[in-house]
Amino acid sequence: MDFEKIKDAVTSIEMSKAMEDRVKENIGKKKSVQVNYKRWISVACAFGILLSITIGMPYINNNGEFQVANFAITAYALSDDGKQIDTTITSEKATIELSTEDRLGVVSMSGDGANLIFTDVRFNIIGEQIDLITYTISEGKFIEDVTFSLKEYKDSEWVRSEKINFISNEPGSAVYKGIKEIGNSYTVNYNEQDQHKYTLAIPHDGNYVIVEDIIINVNVKYIDGHSEQQNIVVTQESNSISLKLN
Amino acid sequence: MLQQVVWSAELDVERIVDTYGNMLFRICLVILCNEKDAEDVVQDTFITYLTKSPTFNDSEHEKAWLITIATNRCKNMRRYNIIRKHIDINDLQLYSKNDKNHGLLDHLMRLPTKPKVVLLLHYVEGYKVDEIAKILTITTSAVKKRLQRGRELLRERYRKENEYGL
Repeated sequence: MDFEKIKDAVTSIEMSKAMEDRVKENIGKKKSVQVNYKRWISVACAFGILLSITIGMPYINNNGEFQVANFAITAYALSDDGKQIDTTITSEKATIELSTEDRLGVVSMSGDGANLIFTDVRFNIIGEQIDLITYTISEGKFIEDVTFSLKEYKDSEWVRSEKINFISNEPGSAVYKGIKEIGNSYTVNYNEQDQHKYTLAIPHDGNYVIVEDIIINVNVKYIDGHSEQQNIVVTQESNSISLKLN
Repeated sequence: MLQQVVWSAELDVERIVDTYGNMLFRICLVILCNEKDAEDVVQDTFITYLTKSPTFNDSEHEKAWLITIATNRCKNMRRYNIIRKHIDINDLQLYSKNDKNHGLLDHLMRLPTKPKVVLLLHYVEGYKVDEIAKILTITTSAVKKRLQRGRELLRERYRKENEYGL
């Protein structure tokens, strides 16, 4: 068999003109969307920031009652220059300009195919005598950026069991990157918060617009067994997201 | 200034699609055996290119980068496509005008992904074994084995076709 014929056979394949035009149009569109998308990367300002960590955060609960929770929630995000900014979430709005990364073309193994805005926003709880913290998001997922080796990449069972949905690899690098799906809820020990760098992935309507407000329920269980909870409402304003206590 | 940026981005879209569109589509179509999937991968590859704006030493470096991104995405897509779709040989005329090539293309498309990708890069894109190893991040001996395996499978399929007059 003449293997050189493979070249003739394969190079005879051509994109149709319609497909070529479609690809140009689509990547042109995505590129223009991406300009806005990239603008969201600059996490520069946050207003409503309380620079001091406040223990005993007053808030109005769902029944309109005034309550004091014995823990404070801080939202973290990375700025362009790599510095971490934080803002304590209160009933006043705290706006964080989204820090997003190029994650187009995500393959979802769960099959829901949701369009997600990936942020690098994550939370930290400050309080006393806290044992466990459980976060539950009404829409979207918590995710974790993970890196792994070629050997692990080749192990498809491992990739599936770890729920690593999107895998990329820079040419010449032996390190693979992926997005691990944590789910819509997770629980973490108070003293191990630094070990769980889970961030928010928020669903959008296809045009990077968050259609409905998203509620993140934060349930804190104390060492003595009693619990307290607060809800964070996530809304979108232009190129930023706002977080505030409900 | 803004207009200039937009204009430059449009030019870039035209250039990369004109230069690499068909090359990537061929590779993706042969690997994925599905037109829509191939189109999606080509599109995603270009979007990654435009958003990451990587720096290249030369056009060969640029081409190799695009092939790496596209083949990685194809492999991911294959992995998650539980039901593997395959183009009917009669549909090949939509993409390849020359009927004489359809038999070989059909055999090639039915090969397992690993040897298929190596055969494509070697025989179609003209890459040497060590260059393929770099693009696919595998060893040169793995490339050689995959090439050998691909050739054997193709030979075997041709032999069976001639034997049984398929």
